[in-house]
Parts: sequence; C-alpha cells; structure tokens
Amino acid sequence: MGVPFTEAIGGPFRTLFRALVRPSEAFTDPPPTLGRALARMLAVWVPLSLANTGLTVWRALESYDQLRRSAPPTWLEQALGADPDVLRELLRSLPPSPAFGHVWPWLLLVVPLGVLGTWIHDAVWDHAGLWLVGGLKAKRGFRATLVAEAEALRITALGTLIGLLGFLPVFGPLLFLPLLALDGYLWLFRGFALGARHGCGVWRGMAATVVHAALLGTCALGLAVVLLAMLRVGP
Amino acid sequence: MRRVPWIALVALALGLTVRLAGFLAPWAGLLPGCAFKRVTGVACATCGLTRGTLALGQGQWGAALHWYPALAILAAAAPVAILWDLRRAWRGDPYPPLPDSRGLRVGAWLLLAGIWALQAARGI
Repeated sequence: MGVPFTEAIGGPFRTLFRALVRPSEAFTDPPPTLGRALARMLAVWVPLSLANTGLTVWRALESYDQLRRSAPPTWLEQALGADPDVLRELLRSLPPSPAFGHVWPWLLLVVPLGVLGTWIHDAVWDHAGLWLVGGLKAKRGFRATLVAEAEALRITALGTLIGLLGFLPVFGPLLFLPLLALDGYLWLFRGFALGARHGCGVWRGMAATVVHAALLGTCALGLAVVLLAMLRVGP
Repeated sequence: MRRVPWIALVALALGLTVRLAGFLAPWAGLLPGCAFKRVTGVACATCGLTRGTLALGQGQWGAALHWYPALAILAAAAPVAILWDLRRAWRGDPYPPLPDSRGLRVGAWLLLAGIWALQAARGI
C-alpha cells in the first residue's frame, strides 16, 4: 500500500520543522555524502524559492507599473530631492514592465543558479569565519563545510515557506518584524551544522556565521550597492 | 586529475563585474550615502569601497588606492593569485587547508580592524 499523500508531503516538512525548533538534535546523525546533501537541499529549497521569487517578481512588476501610472510617493520625492514635476514626467517616460508570463521561464533558470550560488557563497564565507574564530582545528576541510551548509540550508529553506506569509494582504506588512527575527535565527542556525560537522562546538559555528555577516557588511556591501545602482539605472 | 581553478574563475568574474561597474561612474551621485556614517559621523569599514570600485572599473588605479587602499592592493595581487590557482589546478593539487596558526588568525583580525581604522582616520 502506498504512503498517503499528506504523509508523503507533510512527513518531510514535520522533520524539517522539528530540526528547526530543536537544532541541537538536528545534526547528530553521521554526515551524508556531499552529493546526497546537495540533492536533498535542492529538492526542498528550489521549489520553495521558485514560489517566493515568483511572487516577489510579480509584485515588483505590479509596483513598477503602478509607479509609472500614478504620482511618485512623497517619500520617494524627498529621498531623491528632485523636482516633483520632473520626476513625474520621468516616471511616465519609463518603458512598461514585461509581462510576468515572459519573465517566469527565466526564473526556472535563475532560481536554481541562485540557490547553488547562495550555498557556495555561504560555505566560502562561513569557512573563512570558522577559520577566524579557530573552528577548523579538526582539519575536516572545506568539504565538511559544504555538507554542513547543504544540510542547514535544507532546513532553513522552511523559512522561505514561512516567508510567503509576508505576501498576504494587510497581514503581511504586520509580520515584517517577526519575519525579520526569524531571518536572524535562520542565519545563526547554520552555526549548529558547522559546529557539529567540524566538531568545534556550536558557539564557534554560530560565531562564524556572525563573522560572515560582519564581513559581508563590511567587505561586500560596496559591491552590492554598485549592483543596486545597476538595477536602478538599468534599461 | 585536473581540478577546477575556482579562485581564478571567481577573480575573473569579479574583475568583469568591477569593469562593468566602471560604466556606472556617471550615476554615482544617485547612490545613497553611508547610513552608518550619517548616524555616527565615523566612516564605516566599507566607506570608500564603492568609489574605489568605480575608479578601478575605469582603470584609475591612483584614485582607487585613495578611496580604498585594500581594494587596490587586492586587485593588484589578483593576477598572482590567479596564476597560483591555475598552476595548482593544472598539477591536480587540492587546495591547501587554511593554516592553523593563532598568529595568522590574529593578524587577519588586525588587518580587518586596520582597514576600518584607516578609513575612519582619513575621514573617507
């Protein structure tokens, strides 16, 4: 007899949720191989990320079109310090946004690449952070970090699912702060996996993620701002 | 067994990004200022990084060195790192582990703090 549908879908999510609320028990099993850890991460994270990114893009296109059609909000006028009439004229002259139907096929390519990129990015920075806090004494190498990140990100992908609540009308904006706090916890959560897989203790793993955040803020923010500028001035 | 020269590939991708960023220099005035500096009056560790990146993208090494010395030094050292990584990959050697040295770790922390102190002291 087959497994009921609700159990097939709900079972893995229950396991992930349990890991999220009891992180100290989440990484006690022997580590999986890199390939298996990666496949399991992609299987959970890519569909959730596709849903989240799809909704974000859809909303962004709607906001863009709304901005083109109506007067710019006061805060935007103040932030840019431009003449309101000139700004209004400029916004009207902007090209219309592409239809979501033309955009979403690209998401099928971009989102999996983004997921893989985030995984590698987190592994590199967390590994550097672990070294800075003396967490690599067991000499398990970068591969152990890659496995730990894949395991942790599979679980924290659940946050992407919870983050979808932010798209709810009225209720969504109210959840901004709780969701921000959840993001903070999910960031630190990787420390449990790093601590377990490198045998360096949870506090060093969490410290590595904090160092990662600090380094990201201090070393890469400039480039991020440049990329933001590219988006702002792009066609 | 040949290996992938990840460092070389990432360095080349970053180089291309910086080059493209150079084309954005005319719009640099649109960028928001540093929130940290606005609140505290002290430069943050990344103050000057954007201007340094834009200058580097335009090939203005002197200006890049002025705005963010660490970035210009890193960019100048990048070809050495790329060549080392290509040689490592060609020979099939794995990446060496990060050195387990307290001195080097403390040195790295001091370097990071020093970069910040330099930017703050110069009021960039």
